[in-house]
Formats: sequence, C-alpha cells, structure tokens
Amino acid sequence: MNPIISVRGLVKHFPVRSRGILRRQIGDVHAVCDVDFDIYPHETLGLVGESGCGKTTTGRLLLNLVPATAGTINFQGRDIVPLSRAQMRPLRREMQIVFQDPYASLDPRMTVHEVIAEPLRIHGLYRRETVRDLLTTVGLDASHGNRYAHEFSGGQRQRIGVARALALRPKVLVLDEPVSALDVSIQAGVVNLLEDLQDELGLSYLFISHDLSVVRHIADRVAVMYLGRIVEIAPVEELFQRAAHPYTQALISAIPVPDPRKERSRRRIILAGDVPSPVDPPSGCRFRTRCPKFAGQLSEDERTKCAEEVPALTDHGEGHQTACHYAEALALI
Amino acid sequence: MTVLLEVDDLTVGFPTEDGLVQAVRGVSYQVSRGDSVGIVGESGSGKSVTSLAVMGLLPRNARVSGSVRFLGEELLGRSDEQMSKVRGSKIAMIFQDPLTSLNPVYTVGSQIAEAVRAHKDVTRQQAMKRAVDLLDVVGIPNPSLRVNSYPHEMSGGMRQRVVIAIAMANDPELIIADEPTTALDVTVQAQVLEALEAARKETGAALMLITHDLGVIAGHTDRVNVMYAGKLVETGTVDEIFYGPRMPYTLGLLGSLPRIDESGRPRLTPITGSPPSLLNLPAGCPFRPRCPKARDLCAEVEPELTPTADRRHLAACHFHSELASATAEEVFS
Repeated sequence: MNPIISVRGLVKHFPVRSRGILRRQIGDVHAVCDVDFDIYPHETLGLVGESGCGKTTTGRLLLNLVPATAGTINFQGRDIVPLSRAQMRPLRREMQIVFQDPYASLDPRMTVHEVIAEPLRIHGLYRRETVRDLLTTVGLDASHGNRYAHEFSGGQRQRIGVARALALRPKVLVLDEPVSALDVSIQAGVVNLLEDLQDELGLSYLFISHDLSVVRHIADRVAVMYLGRIVEIAPVEELFQRAAHPYTQALISAIPVPDPRKERSRRRIILAGDVPSPVDPPSGCRFRTRCPKFAGQLSEDERTKCAEEVPALTDHGEGHQTACHYAEALALI
Repeated sequence: MTVLLEVDDLTVGFPTEDGLVQAVRGVSYQVSRGDSVGIVGESGSGKSVTSLAVMGLLPRNARVSGSVRFLGEELLGRSDEQMSKVRGSKIAMIFQDPLTSLNPVYTVGSQIAEAVRAHKDVTRQQAMKRAVDLLDVVGIPNPSLRVNSYPHEMSGGMRQRVVIAIAMANDPELIIADEPTTALDVTVQAQVLEALEAARKETGAALMLITHDLGVIAGHTDRVNVMYAGKLVETGTVDEIFYGPRMPYTLGLLGSLPRIDESGRPRLTPITGSPPSLLNLPAGCPFRPRCPKARDLCAEVEPELTPTADRRHLAACHFHSELASATAEEVFS
C-alpha cells in the first residue's frame, strides 16, 4: 500500500532574536530536525514525546500551517511544502486538525451550528442537513446546534471540534492532544468516538500525545520524538514490548500503571537532569546527556561515537526503526 | 497506630450569586501515623477543597462546618496565627504549580532556610546547611551550588523538588500533596515521585496524595478515598479499590482508563454524561444519572458509606453487593 502522506527530511527552525530595537537573529530553535515518516490510509500514527520535543510543530508542519525550513511533505503525489496559501486551500478539505483545548478552539460568539458550518461555507458546501448529520455523527443531539460553546462540557466541546474537522470529509486528521484536557471518564468516550469514526470513514490519523497509555490504545504505529528528532518508530505492540531506544525505555518505565501489584514490582528507569535547550542541542546523539546507557554502560570509545555521530534511524525488522548506536530491546511492562 | 488526622463530617460551601455551591458534603476520614492515603476524583469532586480546609487555606467566604482534628486538637476555626504554628511544621503542603509556591526574588536556598528558621531556633548558617542537605535528599545535583539558584533558573521538575525540600524542612508528621506532578512530563514525574518517597523515608511523615491519576495512586498509597460530587463514595485499601471496587463510579473510572500494560486494545467503557452541578444537587445518589445500575431507591435516598465484604472497605451504593466481581464492561455497556 502507498502512504497517503510521506514526510522526508522535515526541518523547522524558529529564529531567536536579540533584545532591543535591532532584533538581530542570534540563533535558531531547532524545533524539528530531519524528520521522516509515512502515514498510510486508514492508519493511526501516534506521535509521542514530552513538552518541547517538537511534536506539535510537526503536526502543524504537516498541514502547512507553519512553513517548513526544509524537507518535503508528499500528499497524494504532490509536495505541499512550496504551496502558497491559495494553492493550499483546495487541499485543506483533505487535511484537518483538532486542537487540544476545547475551551479555546471554539469561537464563543458563534452558535455550534455556525462553528461547524463555517468550513462548509468557505468551500461552498453548506447545507443545513450536513451540519445536523455531523452533530449526530459525533454523538451530540442535532437540536443542540443553536446553543453556544460555553453551554457544553469539555467532552462535548471536543466532540464539536471533531465535527468541525470532519465537516469537509477529510482523509487525514491531525489530532493534537485531543483528550489531554479531559477527565478520564469523559476521555474514554472521545477515544471510542475517534476509533469508530476511523472505521466508518476510513480516516488516517496523526495522533499527537504525551500520554503513552492512550497512544498504545489508539495507534497502529508509534513514533517517539526527543528534542526535535524521531528516536524510535515501530508498530505499537513492537514498541511497547520491545522498546530499543534508551529514551523510549525510560518513557515507558515512567508511566504509572493503575494496577497496585504490578506497580509495586516494576522496574523504573529514572532519567538524570533535564531536556537540554533546543537552541543549542548536544552534538551527535541528542539524548546522550541524559542517557542511562551512555552514563553507565558504555566504554570511552563507544561514548565518542555517541558524541560525534548522529545515530540514523535503522530498521531492526518488523518496521521497527531505532536511532541509537547501541540499541537493545527491553521488555518493561 | 496513632491517628494523626481525623476529619469528621467536613462540609464546605461557597456562596455565589446563584446559590450555595456545596463543594464538600460531609466527608469523614482518618490518616494514621506513617500512612499513605490517596484521594482520587475528577475535576470538581471536592478533593482539593477538602485538603485546603484541613490546612485552613480556604477563602474567607467559604462556609465550613464539621471537625478537623490533628493529634486530637481541633484545627477548624483557628485563627491564621494559630494555624501557622501547625502549617509548615507539623503539616506541610505541596501544590500543583511550583512556580506559584516559590518566591521569584529569593534564592531557593534562602527559601528553604526561611522555612527552617520559621519553626526552629537555628542560625542562618545552620539553616543554609540544612537546605543543602535537603536538596541532596530530593535528588538535586550539585546541591551546594544549586542553593544559590533562583526558581526561574530551574526546570519545573527541579522546582517541584525544591518545594518538596521545603515541605520536609521541619520533619512534618503529615505531607499533603495536591496534584504534585500533574503539570510535569512523565519522566520528570518519575523523578519527583521518587523525591517524594525519599522525603517520606527521611521524615517518616504520613502522606495524603491528591490526584486524578489512578496510576500514581496505585504505586504510592496504601489506602484510597474516592470522591464524587463532594462526597467520599468509596474507601478501602489500594488493592480493594483496584481489584474489587464496590461503587459503580470507581468501577467505571477504572474501566475508562486506557492501559499501557494491555495489548490488543480492549474497548474502553466510558461513563456516560458528566458530573452533576454542585449548585442544585438532585435528591438521591449524585451518581444516579450516569449509573446503569440505578433504580427507584437511588432517586430517593442518597446512600451512606457502608461496609462491604471487609469492615474497612466502605462504599456509598445501595447495591454494592451486586458489584462483587463485576467488570466495568458488564456494568457499563
């Protein structure tokens, strides 16, 4: 099967400017650095990582909402990076985004009907019935259209956000932390809805989240980001059962499991220190400054390699790629 | 075991223009010396308000009744001056956002030293030395250098560890931690929870851990109180709550959690609807509108906490015996 989206060598630098009136550029924030991935039709690619790792920027780059510094994004046989806003417009129908904060992403002065109708009107596809159908699709009452966003709970608002994103019948949906702001009992309903919609409409998702439990539940494949780079990418079971990058291992081992007996006996890898600044990332492997393997197990020569050579994503079979010179699979759950 | 904290029929209301918001409605529980008690619940369940009431930190307009006894002494109704003898010495509190609990214009060392000197008669040098020791306990590298840092020079995880160091400055009997890791990334959360465990070991303090994260509760507490709509709806040992919940809400909460330790993505069982408004609570069980087990009795009489199979495992459900060995899937779908 051919991928619906192919990303190659994607880079995004944000300029850092000096204070004062000149505001000279004094550096770059390396937000996304040489990222490659594919999304296949009817597939969910989970993109995980901690704050500041570049996962949200990657999602926005994918929709050309921020211009990429370098790289190509191939969508339906065409590179969308060089396209202008006007050229992007017809493609916007095919790719949509759902944001994290359901309180900030809906216009408080519009009725829910208007919120969902807006993208349809822009593309000249508005029909009253379509909006009512969309409300029912996401599990809301069709008669709720004349209410305002503030009259709904967080979970319902997120459903409105999904309905709006679905209005133009897109093929790809970027979901940027869509359930992170919701309480668990509500979150489960939205997760189920997203799964059902994918089955019904054959959508492809880029599911961006810091919550690995949700990602394990919803994703088919998972990419792990650290400081702007993808460090590991693998099918979901493969990743959670045989994580091979030390960062992924630490990440998985740090997730608390709601099971007291398991939790008491689990092995935990505690990382030292903090994420370095993306303005001046470490040379070679960006994770080496916090890597437990680098600190504890490697010889002097092996460490030199980590410091000098950027580890490339290499395939270990089963579509499991790891960017570590000394990758070693480990079962942690 | 000595009872440290005894909360009895605690009720907290906030008058608003629309009427009285009943944030906490008759909560009773005990914390014994060395215990680790978790309080779990979703947004607005009253879990934070309960602990603020214990510390005497509620806003002035709050209407509080009931009793909070610490080592036999009544805390409710004490003046601020009397309370500050207990606060920070016998009971310490850790809040969600470390940046708002730390003073930006003083070094972290002087803030820890200030806490030490507030309750103990020591010289400034002795207090600073204790600050260095405390930073070492919570796992901050180079503590003798880091005492001179300002909060803005530290990362979120380090700041929270400084707050933990302040909390343990006077060997408290009880540490109340209100969502101590909610704002942090998972690998940082693991660091902070480890610091919290180290603090408990060092001081022998009891812990009251308030969080919405059932995974954190599973790994760090012995007893669990589940709150819903301002009431305790279930209380028991951590194993009883996780392996044999007897209140439909607890069961539903566990069923709606995506699990990182489960493969093959079993469907989540969300709880339909949303928590009731605490402004005009209907008669009967507050969980009734969302409960698939609800019957006529539930609409008329609000259930009290009653013993289940074990004398100390209590559940507020008329039909808790029917939930023995029921799964969330059976009950909610």
